[in-house]
Amino acid sequence: MKYDVIIIGGGLSGLMAGIKLVKRGFSVAILSAGQSALHFYSGSFGLLGKIDGHEVTEPLQVIDNLPHNHPYRRIGIDAIPFLAEDAKMLLAEAGLTFTGNHLKNHYRLTPFGTCEPTWLTLTDYASCVHPKKMGWKKATIVNFKGYRDFFPNFLQDGIKANGLQCDIAEIDVPEVTHMIKDFSETRATSIAKIFKGKTLDTLAACINRAAGKSDVVFMPAVVGLESEQPIRQLKDMVIPSLMCVPTLPLSVCGYRSQICLRRYFEKLGGVFFLGDKVTKGFFQDYRLKEIETANLEDIHLRADHFILSTGSFFSQGLVSTPECIYEPTLNADVLQTQTRIDWCSKNILEPQRFMEFGVDTDENFRIKISGHAIENVYAAGSVLGGANPVQEGSGGGIAILTALHVAHSISRFAHIIQRIDQFNKE
Amino acid sequence: MDYQIENISPNNLEDCTKCTICTVYCPVSAVNPDYPGPKKAGPDGERYRLKNASFYDKALKFCLNCKRCEVSCPSNVRIGDIIQMARLKYDTRPVSLRDKMLANTDFMGTLATKFSPIVNTTLKMPVTKRLLHMTMGIDRHRIMPRYTSETFDDWMKKIAPSQDVFKNFVAYFHGCFVNYNNPKLGKDFVHIMNAIGYGVKPLGKERCCGVAKIANKLISEARRDAKTNIRSMETAMAKGWNVLATSSTCVFTMREEYPHLLGIDNTAVRNNISLATTFINKLVSDAKVKLVFRDDFKARICYHTPCHMQKLGWKIHSVSLLNMIPRVTLVPLESMCCGMAGTYGFKKENYEFSQAIGQDLFDNIYRAGADIVATDCETCKWQIEANTGMRVENPITIVAEALDWEATRKANGLT
Amino acid sequence: MRKKDCGKHYDVVIVGAGATGAGTARDCAIRGLKVLLVERYDFAAGATGRNHGLLHSGARYAVTDQESATECISENAILRRIASHCVEDTGGLFITLPEDSLEYQKTFIEACNKAGISAREIDPDEARKMEPAVNSKLIGAVTVPDGAIDPFRLTTANVVDAHRYGADILTYHEVIDMVRNGTRIEGVVLRDRRTNKKITVEASLVINAGGIWSQSICNMAGVKVNMFPAKGALLIFGHRLNNIVINRCRKPADADILVPGDTISLIGTTSSRIPFEDVERMEVTPEEVDILLREGIKIAPCLAYTRILRAYAGVRPLIASDDDPSGRSISRGIVCLDHAKRDGLEGFITISGGKLMTYRLMAEQATDMAFNKLGIKDPGCTTSTTPLPGSGNTEADIQERTSKQHIIELSTDQKAALGRHGSLGMEIARQGDDAIVCECEHVSVGEIKYAIKNLHAESLVHLRRRTRLGMGTCQGCLCACRAAAILGEETHDNEGAIEDLKMFINERWKGMTPVAWGKTLVEAQFMSWIYAGIGGLEGNATHDEECVPTRAKMKIETNEV
Repeated sequence: MKYDVIIIGGGLSGLMAGIKLVKRGFSVAILSAGQSALHFYSGSFGLLGKIDGHEVTEPLQVIDNLPHNHPYRRIGIDAIPFLAEDAKMLLAEAGLTFTGNHLKNHYRLTPFGTCEPTWLTLTDYASCVHPKKMGWKKATIVNFKGYRDFFPNFLQDGIKANGLQCDIAEIDVPEVTHMIKDFSETRATSIAKIFKGKTLDTLAACINRAAGKSDVVFMPAVVGLESEQPIRQLKDMVIPSLMCVPTLPLSVCGYRSQICLRRYFEKLGGVFFLGDKVTKGFFQDYRLKEIETANLEDIHLRADHFILSTGSFFSQGLVSTPECIYEPTLNADVLQTQTRIDWCSKNILEPQRFMEFGVDTDENFRIKISGHAIENVYAAGSVLGGANPVQEGSGGGIAILTALHVAHSISRFAHIIQRIDQFNKE
Repeated sequence: MDYQIENISPNNLEDCTKCTICTVYCPVSAVNPDYPGPKKAGPDGERYRLKNASFYDKALKFCLNCKRCEVSCPSNVRIGDIIQMARLKYDTRPVSLRDKMLANTDFMGTLATKFSPIVNTTLKMPVTKRLLHMTMGIDRHRIMPRYTSETFDDWMKKIAPSQDVFKNFVAYFHGCFVNYNNPKLGKDFVHIMNAIGYGVKPLGKERCCGVAKIANKLISEARRDAKTNIRSMETAMAKGWNVLATSSTCVFTMREEYPHLLGIDNTAVRNNISLATTFINKLVSDAKVKLVFRDDFKARICYHTPCHMQKLGWKIHSVSLLNMIPRVTLVPLESMCCGMAGTYGFKKENYEFSQAIGQDLFDNIYRAGADIVATDCETCKWQIEANTGMRVENPITIVAEALDWEATRKANGLT
Repeated sequence: MRKKDCGKHYDVVIVGAGATGAGTARDCAIRGLKVLLVERYDFAAGATGRNHGLLHSGARYAVTDQESATECISENAILRRIASHCVEDTGGLFITLPEDSLEYQKTFIEACNKAGISAREIDPDEARKMEPAVNSKLIGAVTVPDGAIDPFRLTTANVVDAHRYGADILTYHEVIDMVRNGTRIEGVVLRDRRTNKKITVEASLVINAGGIWSQSICNMAGVKVNMFPAKGALLIFGHRLNNIVINRCRKPADADILVPGDTISLIGTTSSRIPFEDVERMEVTPEEVDILLREGIKIAPCLAYTRILRAYAGVRPLIASDDDPSGRSISRGIVCLDHAKRDGLEGFITISGGKLMTYRLMAEQATDMAFNKLGIKDPGCTTSTTPLPGSGNTEADIQERTSKQHIIELSTDQKAALGRHGSLGMEIARQGDDAIVCECEHVSVGEIKYAIKNLHAESLVHLRRRTRLGMGTCQGCLCACRAAAILGEETHDNEGAIEDLKMFINERWKGMTPVAWGKTLVEAQFMSWIYAGIGGLEGNATHDEECVPTRAKMKIETNEV
């Protein structure tokens, strides 16, 4: 089977690149070996929130301070604004609407009530221009009785620290109470499966009753599993402003984002192979010709271009042994330090070196094998080395922007080839 | 140091990072309060069961073995296998008569086809249904599949000489459904293969693939059947024949469950077992054969991905094949479990959950506004037919209907 | 925890709430003394909680140290009776590998039999069948009555029982000085590590059960004992690999015991002398990990490819022998020092040496000596027959009884809780909150609340020791914040709970980093995403897992010094 582009990895990066390329008229297949880390999505994509522990206000102003091999440096400061705008548009087309822009960071509210600088936040999730300017007078935090994956007390302390008056109310939605009492599993996602149709009315009534005179209500993010529609419906019925705050993973918006992006990709004509993984790549003259997969066996997949967006350790885009770290899919070169003693910091909240490890690429994000760049294989997203997404608050931004950047490179390249073909014909 | 390079444990147990992704994809835990969900029933529970067998939770029987947890797992943990193995290993309760009846598809089929008119009428009668519900625990809402009067095997024997004229051959694993309930699907398959230049040979000694016996804990019987099938497939392979089936579940069971749940080594034959649509699609895309379709076959078809098809990852082949039909509009359905899961949905205690699981799929099918629902699994077919009233067919049957037989034969150099 | 009546005069103050200190407090309290147990950290925070968790049969010592072996087998039988909920009867194997000598096995069996340890030689084939994890190349095997014991539960049960018999207990109180009157110790000066306040406690007798820190406590009293800190590192594997304890039948050496402990297996230990200054900072080095694996694989080859959850190290409190004037040779067995006889200092006893296995015997000896010194009539020791709270009913008994009572089958979570708390586990069911906090180890909200209310748990680390919270595969990724929220609610101190949370995940992290590769590195990444990423937690989590819980701001009466 032959496609123009095959994307290995179906998370945020792979899907964004896939959507862009299908829209440009390419035939695209995505291979996804299981579900992605997008499922732990906080509701916000960060572009660049912090450098060396200091908060960043205007990300574009400090990108040049990043190390030379940081993915943002490779994209180039000139391209970022354009790609960032494009990303917002594509996400909206997929049914995911955001507030925020790339010029100036805003803040997202964490489950512990602190505020973290970020780029894009889903419109149903709590965000503010500045922690000290939340813009409300009084807040109520609602939680379901007995629901343990949300921490109203911690949240309240955090919000109060920012000067906002805040109380906590327990709400009793019979369907949820029943679930918490009787079901083995009451995760955010399982509760979200309840909230459609009539139960939303009940929930709205409960929230309104609990809110009292508050002008904003914070609730656990448990509505809108497959689309934004239920949360919009709820917001319409709730009198004060309604803001969702992340719960313990799985995150509802993570599942939603994965589903929306994948459906949009498929709707545009992309092919998505779920649960399949590359078992072997066939190279010729520093080009990847075709790949063999676990499910398709002897039916190899061929493509002109490949994108490696397999994610980091969690998604098996990178694998570590006591001796080294390697990229298991194509055996691409990896940026890493020599011995495992350097991989982790002694303190979990300090920067971890292993987070910076990842695939080494040339200036155009093309992977290298034994030092040689592979002409038609690009890396995108968290498989890339050179950045520390957790410390920088840059995971989402890197995933999205490198994906779109690579998609542009591929289409530009294809365009040139087309022109040469045309020229040859003439 | 050259150890600790990878973790090797049964069913990748310890590769589980407790990320909980599987839990949202489990169709059962969303509707059944008693089911602990794949994470807890699988890797979490297993750690305790390894400590002491008394930690086995009987609620594991609610797992319908759809393997959707496995498909979603980012760490390749065979969660479904862990759960099924636990059931087989630790659930020591005796198998009920009902479960034995449901599981012994061959025995029941042979018996029923002999008296098919009586059996079919009786099974349709409300009295029978109530009786089965009350005494056996087979849910009265269920429509038992109709039994045929002539098994597919018998038909194959009759037409056997006609198959010898071809140069290429495949062996056909017809499965119980084709043999006892729907021989037409088997016949369609034979005709298509003939039209593209392949003779179809019976597998010789064929037993049920074992999926129903595994689900009902009849392990020694399932093993016996599996060994017979493997031997037959080895014989077929020796002759250079591929083994094809028209049921995604049969293929899945023989390829994956034999080694993982029954502990039967199938490496010699595994890669030779394939699904009819996969095999044909590959032949067509490699330009080894041609399919020519009629101009007047027009339909809006939606394709439902059975759970085991999802796990096999072969949906692309069935969809590609259907997409070859010029005037077919293919509406892909979101891949989700129909709730039937073979014998699972027939059981009284599961009926309510089985229906609840399938509800979203039924809704999606209504919305799709299709003429035919295509799917590669027979029990999905029963479930969707019963709940939507739609016509549900295996892609092979649809291809057979749409095929221009003469033109196809000609295009493949046959007269 | 603390008690209001610190001002009163005690018969004995026991310093250190490891197994020995807790056991001594219990024995003294049962025999009717007015007891105060002081501990500068939490119960079982030192060597008690940092060993194999092996219920020794004594076989390991049979060849080299008959006295220890005899003590072990006798205590082994006692612990099975009095602490049934802390003990798992796994049985033990001593295997001889091709590189070892079958001659040693012969000597070994003879020595065991001499010490009264039933050691039976079995065919290597039988050993392979009994314990499939064993190295199949073994050439000899001997069965012994080894088992597994949970040191945290054991210590907690002793503390709880001591308290029931009237003992006062002060945790996070550090002894900073002795009250000295001439040649007599008349009490201790404590520093409340929460408030930094000094408290003077008067007592007729001070019993030093400080483990490795006994040396410093003796220094305060002006007497000298020499301790030799010996570091021992261990690795915890992701799940049960063996159901029978596997020992190597040779002269005790590195990494020659694999113990199945609850849901995991552990291999250990290494042994290295360390300077006294290092005992507060135990870090497992890559070299130690390599040794443990290299040697461990020889007894159970599956260690080569099984995920390691974490590594940890403890300090053996070896004490110098009084017989040796050079002070360099280590004393074997229990050392119970009456400093009046030894140093002319009245009112002071040091109980040291020994091992977790002999904690009860040590407590008995110290208490006997205490009565002797106090000159009070000794009612006699009963701890060898009095079951600890939670013991007395086997898991099976309870299960049978409860399922009959409720006519419902116990859930996996309830079974797990009963396994941990024995007959007290029913208390948890009474909490009526079955929602799960720790998914890996099946710890419910009810169990957490029970531990907070009944088992003196004030922090997440305490909860881990009492319940197994965060000890499973994910090392607290999911449960730490759930438990922190409950702790915040119960103690009305959310700020403290967040600090505690940081400390807890950092303590988990510390154990993961020496073995952070493969899936353990993935787990580390997942943990980092949740807490540093989504949660946005920052700031310096302290390295010290024994940092003082900041909550519980109860007022106590103090005698200012």
